[in-house]
Amino acid sequence: MGPWGFVSLAYGIVWAAIVVYWLFLKHRYRQAEAELNRLRSSEAAASHDKR
Amino acid sequence: MAASTQPVEKRKGILGGLAVVAVVIGLYWSLAVAPPDAYQGEVQRIMYLHLPSILTAYLSYFLVFVGSAMYLWKREKRDDLLAHAAAELGVLFTALTIIEGSIWGKPTWGVWWTWDARLTLTAILLLIYAGYLMLRSLIDDESRAASAAAILGIIGFLDIPLIHMSVYWWRTLHQPPSILRPDKTPWETVHPSLLTALAISFVGFILLYFYLLSLRYRVGEMRQEIKALRLERGA
Repeated sequence: MGPWGFVSLAYGIVWAAIVVYWLFLKHRYRQAEAELNRLRSSEAAASHDKR
Repeated sequence: MAASTQPVEKRKGILGGLAVVAVVIGLYWSLAVAPPDAYQGEVQRIMYLHLPSILTAYLSYFLVFVGSAMYLWKREKRDDLLAHAAAELGVLFTALTIIEGSIWGKPTWGVWWTWDARLTLTAILLLIYAGYLMLRSLIDDESRAASAAAILGIIGFLDIPLIHMSVYWWRTLHQPPSILRPDKTPWETVHPSLLTALAISFVGFILLYFYLLSLRYRVGEMRQEIKALRLERGA
């Protein structure tokens, strides 16, 4: 492998790993957000029913 | 989305946008503008990834250290959340540093890996914080898990000065520090054209780091809120 081959390999692995981690994190974020909104809205509905 | 969270979301979006711009400029500068190194040639361009990655990892472990110490002192959940989020990112950036170093080592040293003091201590750092994340998932009691992890987070940080000084204390293949040297300033050891590329790349990594950290911290915060709401409902 030539020098640019090593450079491409390093840059490729690093940026691919960071993008994959970011996508994974976004997925966890959306999942938690959806769950929280669901719980909050059912909580609000329950307190409204009590009234 | 609640109206009160919108300014925070907007700030996160701005930080993410700035990080992308800085990373793109950093990539352009590192790969197209900076000249090749006089001795190593083009392969030295890996330095623009390697150095910002490890410095970002050190920053992350410093935040783990601060968050852990604050948690043990004040017992506030937000400090533990910060330490947990920073540890996860620290593991990512340390693993990337080891991979980049290995790819850089092959054309310069002739080997992908050697049990050099600095390399070995960096691998130990990665294992300590991977252990930190595992420890948290192995202990069911949340408060005990946070306390045990905080102790490990503080002890693990002691590896960083060892890594930094290893090139002075032991005979190693790894070169001495170019930037964080006690005897010289960076512009005395690195050519300005290379230092500019390094600085831009570092800014990109730092902005990206804080963007990812804000996302990861919020994930932890939302999980806490979910747990609290479920407990409330169960009670």
